[in-house]
Amino acid sequence: MTRASAPPALRIDGLTVAYESDPVLWDIDLELPAGCIMGVVGPNGAGKSTLLLSTLGLLPPLAGRVEVFGQPLERVRHRVAYVPQRRSVDWDFPATVMDVVLMGTYGRLGWFRRPGKTQRAEAMAALELVEMVEQADSQISELSGGQQQRIFLARAFVQHADLLMMDEPFAGVDAKTERAIVRLLHGLRDEGKTLLVVHHDLATVPEYFDQVALLNRKIVACGPVGRTFTDAHVERTYGGSVRVPVPRA
Amino acid sequence: MAAPCGSRCPVLELLGDHTFRTVCLGTGLIGATSGALGCFSYLRRQALIGDVVSHASLLGIVGAFAISALIAGTGTKAIVVLIPGALVAGVLALLLTRAITSRTRVKEDAALGVMLAVFFGTGILLLRVVQRSPRISGHAGLEDYVFGLAAALTQGDLLLIAVLGALAIATMILLWGALKLHTFDSAFAHSMGFDATRVDTILAVLQVTSIVIGIHAVGVVLMIALLVTPASAARQWTRSLRGMVILSAIFGAVSGAGGSLLSALYARAPTGPMIVLVATAIFIVSILFAPDRGILARYRSRKRRRRAVLGAGGA
Repeated sequence: MTRASAPPALRIDGLTVAYESDPVLWDIDLELPAGCIMGVVGPNGAGKSTLLLSTLGLLPPLAGRVEVFGQPLERVRHRVAYVPQRRSVDWDFPATVMDVVLMGTYGRLGWFRRPGKTQRAEAMAALELVEMVEQADSQISELSGGQQQRIFLARAFVQHADLLMMDEPFAGVDAKTERAIVRLLHGLRDEGKTLLVVHHDLATVPEYFDQVALLNRKIVACGPVGRTFTDAHVERTYGGSVRVPVPRA
Repeated sequence: MAAPCGSRCPVLELLGDHTFRTVCLGTGLIGATSGALGCFSYLRRQALIGDVVSHASLLGIVGAFAISALIAGTGTKAIVVLIPGALVAGVLALLLTRAITSRTRVKEDAALGVMLAVFFGTGILLLRVVQRSPRISGHAGLEDYVFGLAAALTQGDLLLIAVLGALAIATMILLWGALKLHTFDSAFAHSMGFDATRVDTILAVLQVTSIVIGIHAVGVVLMIALLVTPASAARQWTRSLRGMVILSAIFGAVSGAGGSLLSALYARAPTGPMIVLVATAIFIVSILFAPDRGILARYRSRKRRRRAVLGAGGA
């Protein structure tokens, strides 16, 4: 155990969340060491998105505690970036790609200040990373699904966060974009950032992630992929019919 | 001023008229405020909540009047008494609708319908009670709040409309970033520290204010037109939120002022319906002729694309 050194990037203790009366998440314990990329997998309705939302304080939990870098979330909000599901917003909003990426700077600017030259330069750099510079002035309603996902990533990059929480960043994007995004995420990890990624494709788990959390309302197992992502755990998560897929050749 | 023009130039004659200028300025300001703030309702798909709020405000207006009558013996129609009443009823209707949608399994459109009917029905009922009561005097003109009577605007009303409208617009400009972010992606905004409930409440107060200052001139039944129609028209022409809000404010101002001009010119027709007509004319032109998003532009680009595809296949 590395308890003596830096605190984990994310530590969840006994988190229980209910929408109406049925708990969606039940007594979740999770620890994500800093500098790792963790995949959260589980069947539909397992509470994967809910886990992100309640960790970020968007859904008040019934019980439990969340610590980010050893502190309560409120103190370190600026070190956390959230990438929601692409489909959670209305893309027919009057805004350009640049407008949306700039939104990532609002957290540091606060309630009253507006983005200026510095922020625009940062946004441009982020667009370069996701290869979307040419579309900077395009309307967001004209983007493809993959492009929408890229600018959501760029928006998270300009937050300069140390912990990134992403909800299905590969949903509905083509294979080429998916590979490009994975490269970016691994690059971030290699810089020392920590990533928590809700994911649904079991086949790519060993390739994409160093840590995995298997979730079905409760945490079935959580830890390094090699030790955690086993047939037994996957079966318990998905209810018997699913096994660890053979990696694609 | 009016003398050299005589009865041959009714528009110029009206513009020289002090009362009419008050009315025109008032409805223009109302249109600009609700046009600007209506953009946020439009983009959040919450346009109909505005309709519930404006219908509900009738109950607040009549309620405030009745309370003042019970206290003072004779009721007051002073706008400083009635507007707080309208604000209270509007906010109450808004909160109740939200509570029903989030705490029960009733769908949002049904909850909106129920709340609109309950508040407006009770408002009309209370209006009748007040009008029939022999003990309450001074109620004449209260019924104008239903369909609106811009001619009833006084200098004092204008001042209050201007102050409240300016406050709402100034708040919108001051908190622009937070409002924009919350409207596009409230979960992301919250994750950065722009508390969703807080921003929601600020937006709701701004929108209720823009509605309440308009109900005397436009009427509770048709106030929704100034909240939704200019925003829908402005969306057709614009590519940024800033552009949309500015254009929607202009459309709203033109609708408000133009509507009162028409209503003064033609047989003293009620202002509300005239404002709706002007706003709707702008809306129709916008959905037909706007570049990119207009029906004509889309029809043309579809034809062009089809020709390009067929041409390429045939060659």
